[in-house]
Amino acid sequence: MATGLTEFLDSFVKSHDNRQLLAIPLAILALSLAVLLVSFASSGSPVILGMEFQGGTQISVETTDSPSVLEELYSTYPLMDARQAGSRVIMQFGVMGNEEQRQLEDDVMGRYSNVEIKQIGPVYGKDLQVQALRALFISFLGMALVVFLIFRSPIPSFAVVLSAFSDIVIAAAFMRIAGIELSLGTVAALLMLIGYSVDSDILLTNRVLKRRGTVEEKVSRAMQTGITMTTTTLAALVVMYVVSTFPYLIIPSFTQITLLSQISIVLIIGLAADLMNTWLLNTGILRWFVLKPEFRGRYNR
Amino acid sequence: MSDAKSLFKNVRVIIFIIALLGSIVAIGPGYTSGEGTTSNLNYGLDLEGGSWLQIQLQGALVQVDADGGKIVTEMVEPVIGAPITITQNKLEGSGLTEAENSITFTTDASVSTSELEHLELGRISVDRLNQGITQVTIFTSKEALIRLYLANALDSEVVTLDTGEGVFYEIRTAVSEEELKALMEKVGGSILLNEDGTSSYKEGVSVQTRDLTREILNDKLNSLGLKDIPVRTVGEDYILIDFAGIDLATAKDIAEKPGKFEIRIQTTGNESRHVLYGDSIVSVGIPGFHDNQWHTPFTLDEDGALALQKVAIETGAVDNPQDHYLDMYLDENLIYSAPLSYSAATRLKESPIYSWESSTGSDEAAKADAEALQIHLRAGALPVNVVLVGSGHVDAALGEQFKTEALIAGLLSLIAVAAVVFRRYKRPEILVPMVGTSISEVIMILGVAAAIGWQLDLPAIAGIIAAIGTGIDHLVIITDEVLYEGKLPPTKVFLSRIGKAFAIIFGAAATTVIAMSPLVIMGFGALKGFAITTIIGVFIGVVIARPVYGMVIKEMLEASGATAENGKAEVSAE
Repeated sequence: MATGLTEFLDSFVKSHDNRQLLAIPLAILALSLAVLLVSFASSGSPVILGMEFQGGTQISVETTDSPSVLEELYSTYPLMDARQAGSRVIMQFGVMGNEEQRQLEDDVMGRYSNVEIKQIGPVYGKDLQVQALRALFISFLGMALVVFLIFRSPIPSFAVVLSAFSDIVIAAAFMRIAGIELSLGTVAALLMLIGYSVDSDILLTNRVLKRRGTVEEKVSRAMQTGITMTTTTLAALVVMYVVSTFPYLIIPSFTQITLLSQISIVLIIGLAADLMNTWLLNTGILRWFVLKPEFRGRYNR
Repeated sequence: MSDAKSLFKNVRVIIFIIALLGSIVAIGPGYTSGEGTTSNLNYGLDLEGGSWLQIQLQGALVQVDADGGKIVTEMVEPVIGAPITITQNKLEGSGLTEAENSITFTTDASVSTSELEHLELGRISVDRLNQGITQVTIFTSKEALIRLYLANALDSEVVTLDTGEGVFYEIRTAVSEEELKALMEKVGGSILLNEDGTSSYKEGVSVQTRDLTREILNDKLNSLGLKDIPVRTVGEDYILIDFAGIDLATAKDIAEKPGKFEIRIQTTGNESRHVLYGDSIVSVGIPGFHDNQWHTPFTLDEDGALALQKVAIETGAVDNPQDHYLDMYLDENLIYSAPLSYSAATRLKESPIYSWESSTGSDEAAKADAEALQIHLRAGALPVNVVLVGSGHVDAALGEQFKTEALIAGLLSLIAVAAVVFRRYKRPEILVPMVGTSISEVIMILGVAAAIGWQLDLPAIAGIIAAIGTGIDHLVIITDEVLYEGKLPPTKVFLSRIGKAFAIIFGAAATTVIAMSPLVIMGFGALKGFAITTIIGVFIGVVIARPVYGMVIKEMLEASGATAENGKAEVSAE
């Protein structure tokens, strides 16, 4: 997979000019931004907020009952959704009073086994939301600062930061379209993406700015290394996604690990986007920059 | 093979080996036929089973000012049922000592000392002037008046804190800025502004109060015999309690049930008589030092004060305090025992006493005792209003399942990574050190976790996987840098290549650490573990494991290169 992909991307990069390289990632970035914007305009939030950020209760139980049976059973509570996941049913409740909450918990615990309960108050959820946004913002700013400190050259640094930004935007837009909620797990994934996605960009920029050789050759070499890096990580994540999302295919009694499943799917999309953004967007900007006439081939020998 | 020997003399390699062995010792893997595999690793609730509660402390910190006279009017008039006239206000001004701070009013109504004392405004003197006019002087401070006014109006404890930036009033219940503003306007006051012009009102409580709340919860859980329940503060206003192996319903019961506090007075021999329970204690003050003794102040309600007076008289404690100690019990355990002071005994003969102080002695130990008593007196009743903002529960069997699944996911991920690496390089002498380095990084992260008693939960496992992901990335960078021309370069070039590889790696590691650090600093309970594990993993990788990988891969490639060129080099070299 890695070698075929590298050859394909390599020949693609060599046979297209910078403008053409930028066109595809910028179009996808614009599309993703549009998705988030439309969502924001229609629902007040660019992504779907999960229970942790809205408040409510999530209860998952092991059962052979169908979700509709449980919906019937708990219809007196503010049940919003019940869905099957392997041998389990996950129920989503709205905000309840203390007494009602206790009653529901006692009933569920008495009736079912292997219960998992998570409850977040609406005020705390709001607080978490603010903190999550702040964390993302500070992380991104910190990353950008480190990148500028490493390269001390505005245009190449900007290219790295733009490509990381695009990774996150595309991953968030994917979450919106695929109906993946923003949870603590997916916030973690987005933060991890900030750390991961700049690795290959830093490699590329470092190789092109600080090594001898023709730009074309340096980009090819960096691509060899960079795509190996990203594909190893992707391989690990795909396996983690499959095991944590469909464990009951291996052992029927096994349960989804929602947290790991959410983290891995968001990272998979983000890293796939990173392949495109690093080798088309970042490469395009960097190639244009180092071949500018005023450098007189300084980076190309 | 002289190079391979020198490898083991290298400082970095030695550190690596020591760290690895140390980690294995720290993890302490073992196997007993009864329990299966054992180790020193601590698992989080989501892997171990149990429940957690997260509570928010409600309150406000604010700087306010008000007219002391209006506060007295506002508070005294409803009590005596008649209008009053403030005649003298000596609460502030130059040349006044603290003892002279007082406020004086006159009224037509008849006033008894005790009904005013009940307001606890301060020391009171009542004089009857002519023509049925009564003059009352209250020795107090403006600070005390504001505190009392707010406490009465909001029916909550209010304490003053001197932060160095002025006096703050800590209101220990939820109150909005608007409510507070309206209250202060009623007594000619206002909420003060900070130097930068913003309002001094701040939601939440002080760090001391938050920690006191945590201590009380801890104390209560300990008194129930639950010694291993960690009570942690999360962010500024949250407290998180992890109940390992306890279901959610029981956890809520434990958290909500106050401890049973009781005061008894000794009668004869080992016998004693009940005086009051913890619900008679209205407030507990902060321990202070005066008269060469540490004291913990507390206040009783009407019933409590009368009961104490009655029992003290009936048992004879007022006449002979030394034979009739006053005992305090928390959940049936004796926590304090001392005689009534002679002055208190004498006063009790006349009237009930509302404000009490328990003295504990004069040394450092006495200070600790006074602080412990402050917690005990609250008997599990928390100093601030709290609300349950989050809770969770995982069945033990489910946690066990998660653990197995996470392990399977980790192993399969590693195999997948190994497959991709092998496809790319097609050389076992690269694959083996790479996977080996990765595994040793996992062992070292787990070793650190075991050594510092860090709990491994699902987010922490995700963090380990993240650290391994970046780890493999960096090993690929080193490998490709070393093999830039497709074969191993001479040692001098090799070293400069390694240097270049690390220039990239340090940059990449720095961005990861920077991206994760907001999570460590901010109040996210669940994600803190994730961020810390990732950061620890990145540090271990960059500082300990990856430099060694560079050296090992050089040796491996040299050895295999020699083998390829000269089939029996390994044997003949000896």
